[in-house]
Amino acid sequence: MKVLDRRKMIFVNGVLLALLTLSMVACTLLGPVHLDLSRALRDLSFANPDAEILFRARLPRVLLGVAIGGGMAACGVVLQALLGNPLACPQMLGVSGGASLGGILGLILFPNWLLPIAGGLLGEISWVPLAAFLGALCSMTLVYRFSLFHGRLHPYHLLLSGVIFNSFIAAVIMFLNSIIDFYQAQGLLFWLMGSLSTRAYLTVAFIWAYISFGFLWLWAKGLSLNLITLGEEAAMQLGVETGALQRQIFIASSLMIGAMVSVSGMIGFIGLMIPHVMRLIIGSDHRLLLPASFLAGGIFLCWADTLARVLLAPAELPVGIITAFFGGPFFLFLLYREGRKALTL
Amino acid sequence: MKHFQRLITLHLLTASLFVLCNSAFFAHAASAPRSQRIVSLAPSVTETLFALGFGNRVVGVTTYCDYPAEARKLPKIGGFMNPSLEAVAAKRPDFVIGVSSATDPVKAREMERLGLKVTLISLASVNDILSSIKSIARLLGSPEAGEKLVDKISLQFDEIKKRVASAPRRTTLLAVGLRPLVVVGGKNFINELIFLAGGENIAGNADQPWLNLPDEYVVAKAPQVIIEAGMGSERGDSAKHWGDLKSIPAVREHRVYAYQSDKILRPGPRIGEGLEEIARLVHPECFAEAKRGVNKGKGCEGPRP
Repeated sequence: MKVLDRRKMIFVNGVLLALLTLSMVACTLLGPVHLDLSRALRDLSFANPDAEILFRARLPRVLLGVAIGGGMAACGVVLQALLGNPLACPQMLGVSGGASLGGILGLILFPNWLLPIAGGLLGEISWVPLAAFLGALCSMTLVYRFSLFHGRLHPYHLLLSGVIFNSFIAAVIMFLNSIIDFYQAQGLLFWLMGSLSTRAYLTVAFIWAYISFGFLWLWAKGLSLNLITLGEEAAMQLGVETGALQRQIFIASSLMIGAMVSVSGMIGFIGLMIPHVMRLIIGSDHRLLLPASFLAGGIFLCWADTLARVLLAPAELPVGIITAFFGGPFFLFLLYREGRKALTL
Repeated sequence: MKHFQRLITLHLLTASLFVLCNSAFFAHAASAPRSQRIVSLAPSVTETLFALGFGNRVVGVTTYCDYPAEARKLPKIGGFMNPSLEAVAAKRPDFVIGVSSATDPVKAREMERLGLKVTLISLASVNDILSSIKSIARLLGSPEAGEKLVDKISLQFDEIKKRVASAPRRTTLLAVGLRPLVVVGGKNFINELIFLAGGENIAGNADQPWLNLPDEYVVAKAPQVIIEAGMGSERGDSAKHWGDLKSIPAVREHRVYAYQSDKILRPGPRIGEGLEEIARLVHPECFAEAKRGVNKGKGCEGPRP
């Protein structure tokens, strides 16, 4: 194992952080409608359309996009290492399916319930994300139970039960979709496709707190993750408690994914693609790969969401379409260019 | 010989009786067709059939067909987008009527292959809706019923147009879902209804019939009226949803309405009433004064909002 090069660490993360900051500023200023920045900042008090576009419609979206993009990419990195499978992604754990089902049940049964925050002092938010998060927790528990093999979390079992659980949930969702009201079904379809639309800073703050905590925790496991990619036995011989590590990573990433899907629906492709792209560019040392993927995921989703708002304006495209549409060819291009190197986890 | 003669007479008698019976049958068939059996593949079609007076000939409807009340009791042939082929065929219908944008074209072709007469009508615009009423009436053999119904709807339209004629046009947003925000776009008959009601759809320049709109677009276009017509709309919720965007005139002036209505959303014979509902929301002042007995259409110019 190579010693971590501190200069490379600082350089790569510094460049990505600068790019992320630039992207956030640019994406806040870009959109389907014109925004006069000076007018937006001149009067923040009351009923200033430019200020509302900037601070209520765009900024929370951009902040949420960075958190979700980063979180998805980071989860993708650790899941690919944990499952020893290059195809692993956050959509595979079964948690996302559970979250979708929870959210949909929330949408169908009580579409207009609002949760008062701190007794209504901090306003009210839709209860759908909470329903989705409950669904994520339930599915996480179920998948975990089914993946235990002789008392240990087994990667193959985890992968299979996750995938099968998700397809089962997909069937339940299609069933619900065919028995509900026509217009409700249309709304549900839009919800399923995922969107970063939000105006609630409270939700954004909650997701940021959640994701940063989970991310830092995963980052701290970077060295062990490096070892586990050598194979479970090798890692064990090198002193990694693989059983405990697998369990912890599964639970941490599931909780992160559950929270992310709850607020933004299924935004695919980032968790699968960004880790591979970053591996091709900076190598597969998880101590560097994790923060770099987080930052790159944030940059990517930030721009994807801006494109989703602008491309077919005034209509907003589901952001998942953009991530797959631009991410897929770019990934294939990288794969082709770096074809001489063998892909490793 | 006598025996032979008797035999011939008997034969002639039987034959003439047979011919008589047959001709009687044909004559019956020609003068009054045996009652038609119709299967409707859309709620709007069901409404049209009942409004035209063909309700008693409808033998199958979709699970979404809930108007008029009699339609609820009719046998169901499946959903709106996914009717069951067997259920439709089992009704042995003479006519199957669906909607070109909703009915699965593959299913429609399969029904035709089974020998069913399938008609798909287009309901993309108000004109489409009116001409589809006429064409259904023609198809079922009483064009005059279609003309009458279309005349009635046109009268309702004229009445509303007259009322809002002098009112200033108000920019309007009509949504069917809030999370995410799904609204009426340009290629939608409701877009026309909004215009006829004296409003102007802020998403009317979009090419889609329905679209997901980002919040910033709503703020930038500053609608003067926001109507949420989707299922499960509740007044309080809709107002709260927009409450933090005080720059939108509709929010400031309390013109955010949650108004759940099939008359607005369904492209059927009740669009005249739907138009009135939209007009009452966009220009309540035009209707309030009529109630007080002031001349219709006069005096609702008001101050330009």
